[in-house]
Amino acid sequence: MPFNRYLFVLFISVIATLLMLPIQEPSFLPNTALLYVLLVVLTASVLGRGPAILAALVSSLLYAHVFVPPLFSLAITEVQYLLAAGVMLVVALLVGHLTASLKNTARQVQARESQSRALYELARSLAATLTQAEVESTTARFLGDAVPGCQVRIIDPDDCATLSPPLPSALRETLQQRQQTLMTVGQGETGTRLLVPLIASTGLHGIMVCDLSGPQAASAATRELLETIASLTAVALERTHFADAARQSEVRHSTEVLRNSILAALSHDLRTPLTGLLGMAETLARGRISPERQQALLETLRTQAMNINQQVTNLLDMAKLRSGTIELNEAWQPVEEVIGVTLQQVKTQWKDREITLDIEPDLPPLYYDAVLMERVLWNLLENAIKYSPADTPIELSVRMREGRVVISVCDWGPGLPEQDNEELFGMFRRGCPESSIPGVGLGLAIARTIAEAHGGEVLAENRLGGGACFSLRMPVARAQYPAELDDKL
Amino acid sequence: MTPPDSILLVEDDWQIREFVCIALESEGYTVHEASTAGHGAVQAGSIRPALLILDLGLPDRDGQDFIQDFRAWSSAPILVLSARTQETEKVKALDAGADDFLSKPFGVSELLARVRALLRRRHQERHDADPVIQFGDFRIDCVKRVVTRKGEALHLTQIEYRLLIFLASNPGRVFTHRQLLLQVWGGHAVDNHQYLRVYVGHLRQKIEQNPAQPRHILTEIGVGYRFQP
Repeated sequence: MPFNRYLFVLFISVIATLLMLPIQEPSFLPNTALLYVLLVVLTASVLGRGPAILAALVSSLLYAHVFVPPLFSLAITEVQYLLAAGVMLVVALLVGHLTASLKNTARQVQARESQSRALYELARSLAATLTQAEVESTTARFLGDAVPGCQVRIIDPDDCATLSPPLPSALRETLQQRQQTLMTVGQGETGTRLLVPLIASTGLHGIMVCDLSGPQAASAATRELLETIASLTAVALERTHFADAARQSEVRHSTEVLRNSILAALSHDLRTPLTGLLGMAETLARGRISPERQQALLETLRTQAMNINQQVTNLLDMAKLRSGTIELNEAWQPVEEVIGVTLQQVKTQWKDREITLDIEPDLPPLYYDAVLMERVLWNLLENAIKYSPADTPIELSVRMREGRVVISVCDWGPGLPEQDNEELFGMFRRGCPESSIPGVGLGLAIARTIAEAHGGEVLAENRLGGGACFSLRMPVARAQYPAELDDKL
Repeated sequence: MTPPDSILLVEDDWQIREFVCIALESEGYTVHEASTAGHGAVQAGSIRPALLILDLGLPDRDGQDFIQDFRAWSSAPILVLSARTQETEKVKALDAGADDFLSKPFGVSELLARVRALLRRRHQERHDADPVIQFGDFRIDCVKRVVTRKGEALHLTQIEYRLLIFLASNPGRVFTHRQLLLQVWGGHAVDNHQYLRVYVGHLRQKIEQNPAQPRHILTEIGVGYRFQP
């Protein structure tokens, strides 16, 4: 409290005078003056300019009144004493001023230091942002801390119209032409609105709208801070803008690759069986073959059509999975359920193929989308059936391994090529390209995509003694399994 | 001799219509065709078919609506044709009152089997149900509430018993999860599909030789269950 400081000065001066009373002798007079000067200097250095002036005045008066003869009167008879009083006043003023400005500078330096540390922090957190929204929230959070009561939002340069109150068009143009670094647009009762254009090397990336109180908006330090933050934010926005653009072009590129692959698959892998279909239909229409061969041809026709159906299903599945619109219809269910259905369907298509099943008892239920999981198993089984000799069995086993339910489909075929097995899971990858084995090379890619959507994975490996093994690993108990309804024996 | 059963086929694709027609007529049924829901509704009113075969992907109307309107005045079985990926459509159609479904592409023998089963069930409904149900080695005495396998009593919980009775007394018929929950647990449980799966699992453990490859309680994936004697 400033008032208290002045009272304190009065108090100290009186105390000092009382202490010096014993040396109230004319011979000590110059020393007394020095002691008073010391008091003034101390006051100035500790309490600042105002109290120092008061100390000087009071000291001069007390000096004149108490020590200078005639004692206990304000009359000063000799010029030297008047000089002492005058010197005291000047010293007080000088030292007070110096101290005060020194303190001020120190305070400023400290403030600047903490501000630049904060700005550094801001720059660092801005560097870690990935999206425009993150940049905005980081900046807003920082400004909220740095300038209390400041409301900040960042708008797109094209969205000036959405501001309330609306921005006059002249101002908008000024902003767009980037002529000013900071503009005051409104001074209402609640506060002032400042607009700071966010300009980086490639142009205007947004406008920072800051609502703050009148005195804050007027302070040069705040304005300077806002401009600095604006330049940091602008650079960050520019970076996210370019990152977005890069991501989009990557997406476009991969879409392009996918489209080309689909076209290639359609033109080769579907046209070949369709040609067969057409040929068989026409051969039958000509009617110059024996009834037995006719029957056989019809049977082949049917199989061929089913194959094409399977491939179209896979293409559609993949398109749906890739489009990102797929929603998992997950539910808790025993793993046996989906295995039973898949085996039933596989057996309608490959009636004579032997598939052995080995399920560990008491497996925990899994949380999955039954329709999609059936596609995974179907694709793994179909793959095994297609790529291994018809007289060898397919082995399907389900066990618990390292906290996961592992469903393995193993065959006695030629096994996988030595190179990277991950290649197999790419889209439109065929085990034997251009072979007579039907397919478009999507089965494993679909299986893996669906498994990953469930938090699981599909792995491929060669088994000892030949043959390939594909295993689907599903996580167990991601959530609480529901309690069973009340049921009595 | 009774007059042949008349079947109404509502399907917009003429090729499918043609082969379904040929197949059904070769089995002695009288088939009426319609290519739109509007035409189908008019036809249904005039011929009062013994069976309705309905494509879910009609251009002029939602299949579920059509089923509800048809159900308002007719109890004739409805067989729904749909694409494989339309599981929710199938469930909606079944909940609306359809009796069975076939996923495209389907074969003629499969179609005829379903049609025969639906018509047979319709004719049987006129008679009183037998209080004893038999399938495989099993015998269910609904009066004494006893299930036996090869003469040996089988211990089932109340819910397992209710589930089994309901399924077994409707052989060949597909039920959605919702329909089963409503029948066995009551209205408060219709959204708790996991209970149903748990109990079907238990029931399979008790009545199936190989629960992973069930012979009696079959899963219609994404739709529900079907009992096969």
